[in-house]
Amino acid sequence: MIGIKKPLLLFTIYCSLFTILCGCTATYPQDKIKESIVRICKQEYKSDVLVETAGRTMVIYLPLSDLMDFSFALSKAASEKINDVIFSAARVALSTDARIDFYCVIAHDIKMPELQIIIIKSVEDVKRLFANDISRGEYMKRMLIDLRWSPQAKKEQVVKEIFNKMNLDPKWQDQVMADFFRSEPTSLGDIGYWGSKFYIKDITLAEFLAEQIANRVKLEFREDKSLKESFLLKSAKGVYISKKGKRLFRFEAFAERSATGTAGTIEDSDKIFETVLSVAAHVIHGYHFKDHDGVEVFDQKEGRSIEVDPEELEAFRTKRLKLNEIGR
Amino acid sequence: MIPRKWKMYFKMYWVKITIGAAVLLLIALAVIGLNSLESYYRNITLATMPVNLLMVAMNAVIFVYMYMIFMRGGFSKLSQKLRVHGEFVNVKWSDVIGMENIKAEAMEVVQLIRDRTRVKKIGGKILRGILMLGPPGCGKTYMAKAIATEAGLPFVSMSGSEFVEIFVGVGAARVRALFKKARELAYGYGGCIIFIDELDAIARKRVFSAFGGTEETNSTQNQLLAEMDGLQEMKDKHGEPSPEQNVIIIGATNAPEDTLDRALRRPGRFDKIIYIEKPGLEDREKLFVYYLGKVEYDRSLDIGRLARKAVYKSPADIENIIKEAALIATRNGRDKVTLEDMSEAMERIDLGLKRMINMSPREKETTAYHEAGHAVVTYMLHPTNDVFKISIIPRKDILGAVYSQPKEELFSYSKDKLLADIKVDLAGYVAEKMRYGVTSTGVAGDFKDAMRIAHYMVWSLGMGGSGLLGDYTSIPETQLSDHLKEKLNQETNNIFQQCQKEVEALLEKEKAIIERIVKDLLAEGELEYDEVEAIFNEFGKTHTKSA
Repeated sequence: MIGIKKPLLLFTIYCSLFTILCGCTATYPQDKIKESIVRICKQEYKSDVLVETAGRTMVIYLPLSDLMDFSFALSKAASEKINDVIFSAARVALSTDARIDFYCVIAHDIKMPELQIIIIKSVEDVKRLFANDISRGEYMKRMLIDLRWSPQAKKEQVVKEIFNKMNLDPKWQDQVMADFFRSEPTSLGDIGYWGSKFYIKDITLAEFLAEQIANRVKLEFREDKSLKESFLLKSAKGVYISKKGKRLFRFEAFAERSATGTAGTIEDSDKIFETVLSVAAHVIHGYHFKDHDGVEVFDQKEGRSIEVDPEELEAFRTKRLKLNEIGR
Repeated sequence: MIPRKWKMYFKMYWVKITIGAAVLLLIALAVIGLNSLESYYRNITLATMPVNLLMVAMNAVIFVYMYMIFMRGGFSKLSQKLRVHGEFVNVKWSDVIGMENIKAEAMEVVQLIRDRTRVKKIGGKILRGILMLGPPGCGKTYMAKAIATEAGLPFVSMSGSEFVEIFVGVGAARVRALFKKARELAYGYGGCIIFIDELDAIARKRVFSAFGGTEETNSTQNQLLAEMDGLQEMKDKHGEPSPEQNVIIIGATNAPEDTLDRALRRPGRFDKIIYIEKPGLEDREKLFVYYLGKVEYDRSLDIGRLARKAVYKSPADIENIIKEAALIATRNGRDKVTLEDMSEAMERIDLGLKRMINMSPREKETTAYHEAGHAVVTYMLHPTNDVFKISIIPRKDILGAVYSQPKEELFSYSKDKLLADIKVDLAGYVAEKMRYGVTSTGVAGDFKDAMRIAHYMVWSLGMGGSGLLGDYTSIPETQLSDHLKEKLNQETNNIFQQCQKEVEALLEKEKAIIERIVKDLLAEGELEYDEVEAIFNEFGKTHTKSA
């Protein structure tokens, strides 16, 4: 008995000592998140960034001198800088005691500030990648990347043209712009940085998923051979809305039918529904998201739509129900 | 100046200390390493650590299992690994029951161990080894522990059989390990006692093979001799005797002294021999009192009678009897050990468990007459033995028994005693013959025993009637003339015949007692001491025995 007790006691002491000495304090405390990212980017990657938070979302602005190369593709140097900043943001988001659900990197070329790259990531996805809970391919699909003209820039340019036509004194132009045309973003598409100001919002998981599903649908139509042959997807949008007291994921897809396609009109619509519902079911299930009452898909070309509730969606995902057995 | 005990601990446990220090260092490095990580990576590392540890442990277990099974021939070999542990025993003189003479002798030994310096000063020889000889279960180990306790020295104990191994050199290695451990303890505590039980396993007379090889026991014993000699030469850097030489070896064996190798018994090795005998009447009484004190027992128990009945019993036997009696009492639903339980326990140990076999009435009666014959002759003719019980309940391979013991242990036997033994043996035969005119196979064992005694008396002890003296068994039988052998055998037969006549006369005379005993035996199955005594008293016979 003594022979067993002694090693057990020693083992317990060692473990306790180990745990106590290792401590459990966060490396980046909540009140020092911004400074931490700025410091890491500056010290370790020689990048100057600005950081802002909105609720559980952390946004990092990265100005670059050469975002695009001559072929209008992302330059190698810019790509590396963006990756460094993403990595720094991930480090801080993971090792802080603040509750951060999403982080967003806004990068733009200082010579062409209207063109911005917006990258949005879920902290949970990063954790799951580290824990090998999801594959790197899946992780990449979960990331939102958008290269776009800054919506605020577009808006302000239009307004400025009007101001110029009105011969409004430039000193009043800023004042009027600030008072009437600069507002906080309401959707993910409005997020950006313009005129030394962050246009950010607290990203919710629902809108993140809606956007991710739309992105994945686009990818599916690009990569799937049969879809590619039958359709030419013009647009796919996803939103999380409240409609008649119901919280729905609504997807709108506009796909031209290719000349080689043989299917009829209804079958084409069904194919689109099937693809979108399949992607949506997979993503919603992957995030264990329960806070919704269904998914609605609208085929803009045919004007047909389908709405399925969560139970049907799950049955469809698990192939217990077919498309013609679900939805209204 | 580092205290000597610290040095001793380091010498003894340097492997453990080194491993412990390495583990602490690794922990410190791991802590520093982990603290340099960001909290998420640190937490994830800590979180996965138990799983990693489990995986490592599982791998280790699988590896060790495979290694042991395929490379080392299984786990059973592990139990053969030698482990020598020093311990401080706590057996006081007062815990050693009886054995006053031996205790006095052992006390002298303790004094010699304690006063080593004084003994050296006056030029006396330091005690190196003590050999305890005696039958098993007489407290040799207990006495050795008491010596260690009184001397205030640590005690390292091993059995001789632990040195015995099929592989040559293993036993010797174990002897070296034993002495190494003892020297380390002696260094720290100023002395140490090694106790080797069942010494005969390694101390038998060595065999020197004509082919140049030696037995494994030889090399073990040689190592023991070398280690014992080596102890005398250990000196510290000032030339003073090192404390590491204060190692005393106590060997114990129940083998006869002359079976041990002479080299071990020479001075400088096992210098002192202590003979431990089975306890006498007084000691047995003390032992009964001591062991009965550990159980609930009927206070009316006659401990004196129990001690008389337990003649030739060792302390271990007595302890066993009381444990068995306690079990019997529990089984019989009693909360105290009674005389009946003690009696049954003794019989169980001496004669074996009762056998529930169905004997025919005739068989039972024959057995009763047979045992009654034994009992009457024992009671009336035997100079030393008491009849403690008569039984016709089968046990082991016997159908009945007369349980008789001498009143006191005897160290030599008189002619009368031997003749009485023969008469007792023949009484069963005579009783059967008188009753039925024929006898049963039950006499075989008795005849064998009686013949052996008669033969021994004539051939070895010169107790025949014709004046032939000497031990004729000490010379080869081929050197004895036929005439002499015939004469000796005639003498043996005469003793037999004479004894038979006397027994016939006695049993004829005491027929009434036999009939009474048979009647009671058939009714009861067994008769206890008091009942036997009552029957004889009823017929006007009294018990007068001289030990």
